[in-house]
Amino acid sequence: MRLSDNIKCSLVSWITKISIWKFFLLLLAVSFVIFLVQSVLPVFSDSHDLHRLAGEELALNGRGKIPSCVSCHGLQGQGDAKIASPRLAGLHPSYIKKQLEDYARDPLKTRAFVEPIARDYVKTPRTYGDLTVFTPGTRYDPKMNGLAKLLSAEDRHNLAIYYSKLAFVASPKAYDFETLERGEDLALRGKPEYGLPSCDSCHGPGGQGFGAIFPPLAGQPVTYIIAQINKWQAGKRDNDHLALMRNIADQLTDGDKVNVAAYYDNLSYSVNSE
Amino acid sequence: MKRILLKWVFIFSFYHVAVLPVAAQELGQTLDSLEVRPSLVNSRLSLPTQLTQVHVISPGEYFAPPLVADIPDDRFGDMVRMGRNIFIKTGVYAKRYAGNGLNCSSCHLQEGRKPHGIPLWAAYGRYPMYRHKTRTVVTLEERIQDCFIYSMNGIAPTLDAPEMKALVTYTKWLSKGAPVGVDLPGRGLPNISRTQDLDPKRGKIVYETRCELCHGKDGKGQKHTNGEGYMFPPLWGRDSYNKGSGLQRVRTLAKFIKGNMPLGASFSLTNQESLDVAIYIWLQDRPRNPKMSQAMDFFFPNMAR
Repeated sequence: MRLSDNIKCSLVSWITKISIWKFFLLLLAVSFVIFLVQSVLPVFSDSHDLHRLAGEELALNGRGKIPSCVSCHGLQGQGDAKIASPRLAGLHPSYIKKQLEDYARDPLKTRAFVEPIARDYVKTPRTYGDLTVFTPGTRYDPKMNGLAKLLSAEDRHNLAIYYSKLAFVASPKAYDFETLERGEDLALRGKPEYGLPSCDSCHGPGGQGFGAIFPPLAGQPVTYIIAQINKWQAGKRDNDHLALMRNIADQLTDGDKVNVAAYYDNLSYSVNSE
Repeated sequence: MKRILLKWVFIFSFYHVAVLPVAAQELGQTLDSLEVRPSLVNSRLSLPTQLTQVHVISPGEYFAPPLVADIPDDRFGDMVRMGRNIFIKTGVYAKRYAGNGLNCSSCHLQEGRKPHGIPLWAAYGRYPMYRHKTRTVVTLEERIQDCFIYSMNGIAPTLDAPEMKALVTYTKWLSKGAPVGVDLPGRGLPNISRTQDLDPKRGKIVYETRCELCHGKDGKGQKHTNGEGYMFPPLWGRDSYNKGSGLQRVRTLAKFIKGNMPLGASFSLTNQESLDVAIYIWLQDRPRNPKMSQAMDFFFPNMAR
């Protein structure tokens, strides 16, 4: 008889030796202990909630040189259309964190490059100028660049957790029929004859966002959406994955921006709310 | 028979043993799809000549199909709307015929409108046509049946099924004003040159830098947040097209990738890159070809493909 068989035999004999009631009692005791441990553990280490509270403190009151976020982004993180400040409530935490990192990154340290060859602008409705400077992985904003450099990595994490938990309900606004119809056509079908994909094919149905990479368009102020597309065309924002958005922004005309932003402003949308 | 044998030899010799585990390490690259790298992101910089290659489209170069807002408000228009619903949500509106998680618009991009993305408006005027795959003259309806059997991995709708009528009606409406019997520009897929130098190792790297962001690490796509259907379609696995479909041919898949992927950056991959990533996708597991495994269907009729 081999050693493995011996071990098997001893196990079988042990199980048959103890009575079936004892076996069940043992199982019950083990499961009860596991249940206790599981229910007690979160009390000692609810780090998620701690991050959220720290983020809330920083967002509402600021710290030292860091001003409070609510002065521009609103008390509920709903954004401000007047100064083109985006909604932060309910965005994906990884997305918020990445944007803060890109704001803080020094454009001089990235491998900036100039597009040297002028394209044929007569043929396609492209709007940005020649010799655009692209700085991959950075996002330019006069206010946020200085501000994000003051934040530590932990601050960014805390703020991301706090804002991703906030509830938001959009209030749809009225626009004229023609604007909405054109906006809808662009949002759902894009411009296939120019090779431009639809917005919803990445930003999710109804522009509700998809995952950590594709942010929601619904519920964002119109001015913010238009300002961001302008920044992409000017090379001031170049932090998208695979240059997806840069390629698309190149092909949008001024009318397209207004129409599609109006379409998403007209949609009803809510996040984190019952 | 020889082709099938060769294929299996290829699979066993490369895929399981050598290719996948060591592909990344051999080239000494650390792969992070989320990292922004201009050399990989920018097609211009990866070209040997350093010249700009931009796919420039003039207004009026391609056929422009009618707008959805212009669908007439009558019985014909209702049929067009039904066809469009089936086309973009096949798993919902043609559930009894669909066998996987794809929609018609997963391949016929932008609701069958995109030039070089197998547009419907270019196909309508070409059928009935001789097809080498079946070696017969097929009508548009028979072609749609083949789509359901192979690409949708499902059951062919009968010629008088309402789904079939709706799809043909939608195709007819979409090609309003297009000439009949003419090869329109943007028809089917773009043509790329042949090459013998395909390498799934390079294809894996292309996949991980360009495709993985949307189609997922395992190529299984990404589902909608509400769990219904796919936001980004699966490239292989149970919910993808089967081995009898057109995209299972490497060169056809490479043509599709070259002309349409990544979204918004058509023609940004080189011919070599698209062929490499196509053969990488071809090596993966997917449902079997229903026409090549009729014995399986006979003995195990309830078994999933």
